[in-house]
Amino acid sequence: MSFRYDFPHKHLLGIEGLNRLDIESLLDRADGFVENKSPEQSLVGKTLINLFFENSTRTQSSFDISAKRLGADVVNMSVQSSSVKKGETLIDTAMTLNAMAPDLLVIRHGASGAVRLLSRKVDCAVVNAGDGTHEHPTQALLDALTILRRKGRIEGLKVAICGDILHSRVARSNAMLLHQLGAEVRLIAPPTLLPPGTDTWGAASVHTDMLEGIKDCDVVMMLRLQLERMHGLYLPSKREFFHFYGLDKAKLAHAAPGALIMHPGPMNRGVEIDSAITESANSTITEQVSMGVFVRMAVLEVLAQNLDRARAEAKA
Amino acid sequence: MKRLLTNARIIDPASGMDTTGGVLIEDGFIADVGPHLDAQHTSDATITDCEGYVLAPGLVDLRVKTGEPGSEHRETLQSASEAAVAGGITSMVVMADTDPVIDTPALVDYLKRAGQSSKVLNHILPSGALTVGLEGERMTELGLMKDAGAVLFANGDSALPSANQVRRVLQYAKGVGARVMLRPDEPSLATGSMNAGAFAARLGLRGLPAHAEWIGLQRDLTLAEMTGTDVIIDQVTTARSLDILLDARERGINAQATAAAHSLFFNELDIGDGSRDPGKAYLTYCKVNPPFRPEKDRLALIEGLKAGVINAVVSAHDPQPPEDKRLPFDDASFGAAGLETLLSALTSLVAEPMYELDLMTVLASVTCNPADMLGLNSGRISEGRVADLVLFDPDRPWKCKRDQLRSRSGNSPFDGRLLTGKTLRTMVAGKWVFDASEGAAQ
Repeated sequence: MSFRYDFPHKHLLGIEGLNRLDIESLLDRADGFVENKSPEQSLVGKTLINLFFENSTRTQSSFDISAKRLGADVVNMSVQSSSVKKGETLIDTAMTLNAMAPDLLVIRHGASGAVRLLSRKVDCAVVNAGDGTHEHPTQALLDALTILRRKGRIEGLKVAICGDILHSRVARSNAMLLHQLGAEVRLIAPPTLLPPGTDTWGAASVHTDMLEGIKDCDVVMMLRLQLERMHGLYLPSKREFFHFYGLDKAKLAHAAPGALIMHPGPMNRGVEIDSAITESANSTITEQVSMGVFVRMAVLEVLAQNLDRARAEAKA
Repeated sequence: MKRLLTNARIIDPASGMDTTGGVLIEDGFIADVGPHLDAQHTSDATITDCEGYVLAPGLVDLRVKTGEPGSEHRETLQSASEAAVAGGITSMVVMADTDPVIDTPALVDYLKRAGQSSKVLNHILPSGALTVGLEGERMTELGLMKDAGAVLFANGDSALPSANQVRRVLQYAKGVGARVMLRPDEPSLATGSMNAGAFAARLGLRGLPAHAEWIGLQRDLTLAEMTGTDVIIDQVTTARSLDILLDARERGINAQATAAAHSLFFNELDIGDGSRDPGKAYLTYCKVNPPFRPEKDRLALIEGLKAGVINAVVSAHDPQPPEDKRLPFDDASFGAAGLETLLSALTSLVAEPMYELDLMTVLASVTCNPADMLGLNSGRISEGRVADLVLFDPDRPWKCKRDQLRSRSGNSPFDGRLLTGKTLRTMVAGKWVFDASEGAAQ
């Protein structure tokens, strides 16, 4: 892109609320970081707090590394050692951190809407690193960047998202983003893990038959199945789930030739995905992790710029 | 002591009276009503000119929670009474799910006395728990509690867990003449925090399916039929519930039903997703149980009110302090403050021409209908009735602000909303207990 586009949001709370240009400008910026081994240190002097109320190795370290590559100071808040355990309310925690005047706050929380709630109480820019079963916008962005770099486009691609759609923030964010960029999004899940109204996220169709859903797809995105969903109420057993919804060679043969195999990680090998295909040439699983760093660099940089601009305007 | 209220638009839903005239009050009771009562009529009464505003029976609210006893930081009987009279409510039934639960005659007696000592003189009517500790197992002493003054029996916010329990409670209650109010619900199905559906799925929130209400309603009505007991159905929220009720009544079941004023006013989208206003998303003041439903259900409830399928409208007042509401949606408590907005919510609906609702209909649902359900002497403007009255301006616009509410907790979904219609003065047993021009109860 040769023209300048100002990302018009203070926070990144979700894909919902972003338009196509917003998304493309972030992807474009992220793509620039992929080839650039020594990016401009645009976050020098900025403080980023990683506030993770849910455990996460990959997302937290990805934000940590992204911020440090751009020169930011990073504080990782471990909830186990914080006063949240002592009964301090979420909002009190936010107010306390806000009083230390960070510039960027990256939050993961187990309750849907919690990150938005916190964003209303702080002055800094907030990035949603996953809230409950609602959204996980940077995951959707890194998935899109991975697809773009492999396939050269997203417009017109058929993308299947398969697994526990009901409890997946990744599915929501991805469906919305891919739909915005012109992909045909299909959701595949057993009926107990399929929520209503997925057309409002941009899903073109829903399938309980995986072979039907995966047919001719250019991308097959598998979701992690939480093990606690496996026993009785939602699903009868792991092996039955794998039989009908696990991605293996035989099922993959119904997708388009050269279809990408994606997974946000961490994987349950032999539950939603067969180990053998995770290492095939069409698997992007580790590449997604790499792209995560570049996408988060782009997000942090753009939000920091917006913050600087807002502060300058407030002074003037 | 005599009082004469003149120049009022008197609306008495029980008799269908809507006339300009006066009301004569002697010793706390209504002595005379009619157009012939004007300022010239008597000489020894204290005269109040009502300036043409609406004079109606004071409201009777069948469903109010306070925090007394046990969690007075949420609400006391006193603060609830002040909020009530500011909203034109002169009698309120307080729910039994306090700490301790009102499940013995002694606790009913305590509440009754506490209510009688209230300075606001709002009629506080205790209700009793149907089961000990609201645990859904052992039946409480329904007969003794009724004799102690419990006007109604309910199992808090929950449905009784087993059909057999409902059967025995209804059978026994009939024998001692205790009125039973049942929450139609199937708790094993209703484990979420807002109406189940596409909007909840998109917000990533767990749903409370309407089907849980239908299952509970069918069960309880079937058992009312089996035992031949009259029941009050506590807060219906869906179009189909009205059909289920009508069907039951056709089969001779005496089931009356209530709806919460906020369910007539809000739909599930009011919880907000931030798409229009970034500040309006996951609004926990809109987290109530039963939840706000889709718009078609809300409109059906208004039709149900007009058609008499819904007999009474309640405030479902449930004060919750900020520490229980300023939380992520799933973690926040259910409940909305509603005492001060009950009448205004209804007059606001009347003010909206598309609903074709009239004042007579909505006032019946908060005066004579609930009064008759409890067998009270109030709820009517006629000779011999207790002088519980509300004077209000049905057209006065005002903005509801939570920090101006008298309730100790300001968790009102109406916060920030423009409403039409406001209480001017409230009288309980012949005494003025609220005057809006003075801003507070006397």
